[in-house]
Amino acid sequence: MKVSKAITLSCKILTAHRLRTALCVSSMAIGVTAVVVMVSMGRGAQKLVLDMIHDMGTNLIVVNAGHVTLVGGRERQSAIVTTLRPSDADAIQDYCTSVVEVAPETSRKMNVQWESENLTTEIVGVTPSAFRIRNIEIEMGRGFDSVENESGQRVAIVGTVIVEKLFNGEDPVGHRIRIGSAPFEVAGVMKAKGVDANGVDRDDRILIPIKTAMHRLVRTTFIQKIHIQVTNSKQLELAETEIRELLHERHRLQDKPDDFTIQNQATLIQTERESARILTLLVGSVAAISFIVGGIGILAVMLTACRERRREIGLRRAVGARRRDIRTQFMLESLIIAGLGGFFGAILGILFTFFTSRLGGWYTIQSWDITGAGLILSTVIGMVFGIYPATKASTLEPIEALRTE
Amino acid sequence: MIKIKDIEKTYTKGSVPTEVLRGINLLIQRGEYVAIMGTSGTGKSTLMNIIGCLDKPTKGHLELDDVDVYKLNDDALSSLRNKKIGFVFQQFFLLERTTALDNVLLPLIYTDKYPADANHRAKKALASVGLEDRTEYYANELSGGQLQRVAIARALINDPDVILADEPTGNLDSRSTSEILEIFNRLHKEGRTIIVVTHDQAVAKHAQRILELKDGRIAENDTGSKSKN
Repeated sequence: MKVSKAITLSCKILTAHRLRTALCVSSMAIGVTAVVVMVSMGRGAQKLVLDMIHDMGTNLIVVNAGHVTLVGGRERQSAIVTTLRPSDADAIQDYCTSVVEVAPETSRKMNVQWESENLTTEIVGVTPSAFRIRNIEIEMGRGFDSVENESGQRVAIVGTVIVEKLFNGEDPVGHRIRIGSAPFEVAGVMKAKGVDANGVDRDDRILIPIKTAMHRLVRTTFIQKIHIQVTNSKQLELAETEIRELLHERHRLQDKPDDFTIQNQATLIQTERESARILTLLVGSVAAISFIVGGIGILAVMLTACRERRREIGLRRAVGARRRDIRTQFMLESLIIAGLGGFFGAILGILFTFFTSRLGGWYTIQSWDITGAGLILSTVIGMVFGIYPATKASTLEPIEALRTE
Repeated sequence: MIKIKDIEKTYTKGSVPTEVLRGINLLIQRGEYVAIMGTSGTGKSTLMNIIGCLDKPTKGHLELDDVDVYKLNDDALSSLRNKKIGFVFQQFFLLERTTALDNVLLPLIYTDKYPADANHRAKKALASVGLEDRTEYYANELSGGQLQRVAIARALINDPDVILADEPTGNLDSRSTSEILEIFNRLHKEGRTIIVVTHDQAVAKHAQRILELKDGRIAENDTGSKSKN
């Protein structure tokens, strides 16, 4: 029997049993759709987290005061630690050869007032270098310079959430606000950055010069963290060692454990990438199970077909079909079902991924490789799960098949 | 020519063997019209299935046109059934949800080379059994007599030497029975070998020779039935 004739024949048989074919195709399609959507969502989540890390700045090392632990994948500082000081930042800048620039930071939640409106937000004291290191861009107005920082000027750069909540969307540049009881002039508005990897909204904060924050607002001598930019990514390890040794010495720790935590961006990216990869793998594995369920669906339908069509098999054998003709026919039926399932599953997967992103607000990445793999795998599954029913059908003796009641 | 030598067939159900055929010897010449008769369970259908290469005997030999069929492998047997034998069954065995034309085309699918004029041949076969206006009818849209005529057209499509019919009128009314028997008469006149298994004396009367099976043996070999009637 010619293959083209066998394909036509299988298509006719499948068309004749429309409902059964449709159910079987849909069981396979669901499997492929699940794989495509789940992996697309997993990869989307991975990219989102990596983008957030990259958004922190490039070739970055962060020194936190005290111990920073990860709780539920987010940073938590255990207690207020007063040992990290602005002079540590200056020392890092001066003595660590691989360091380009440093940006010390202190922050506190405070009440902010403008006319009759008020809210509580994060007040972050930074140096002008923070704008460069952490990719903070100004959307309206201006930032502040080192002269304003050194002289402790009361200038504020507000986030877009503050503009919405405090100024009801009006242009705030030039307005005077009160942070705590101190008056500040809004010099600029930061470009929106969204939520960071720790779940902190980077637009719901106000940046002010660090000297102003420390001397005129919160009146502290310590800082919470230092952002450090290194010459290139290859120097991150070296810089981390240099910084650790320097701070160890400056804090006179000797045999005591570190009173600071150093986070290396490369390690952070690698960790995030690994956890995202595991997540994608996990999600993909769960989806792959539904794939196999689709294959079992094909097996069940083809075995049922084999039982129901014994007389047809007997007749075909009686009129001249060889065992391999029957086997080819059943295999082709499985392959066509699985292939159609894969095809529709791939299309549904692409559409679901698109609409999940558009309507559901999920960040997804169309995974064309997985879509293609799903298409191929569905056909392979159709072939594998079709072997047994096809062999069973082909080994039926013609007279036994014809005698079936 | 069909030559059957010492054919025996024993079925074993559980541990109890049942002898169905006990040493059948038979020679059927090309162009003969033979009826195999007998009461239920005498082995007439088994004999027909063995002649049609659908079943194998426990012992004995079968030659079709001087070819020892038990020396052929499964593929060659399939090819032989395809080219030399046309089957007509009591239950018609037409494919459901399939048109009369596609049912008739079925044996052509399994030929070595699918003929370019397959549809024309199938239509011609249907016309020869008086169903030229039913080619696109589905099996469930045809009467019993029409279904059996489609089955005969299917049996004829490959122009076989032998037509094997197992109780071909068993499920038909008297009018359809006459139509089918007329077709067999015509095919016989055209020179085909026809072997009909029946328990109906009226059907058997149309044959040249009647073989009466009793207890797995040929009890009577009447060669003058058609001339007598």
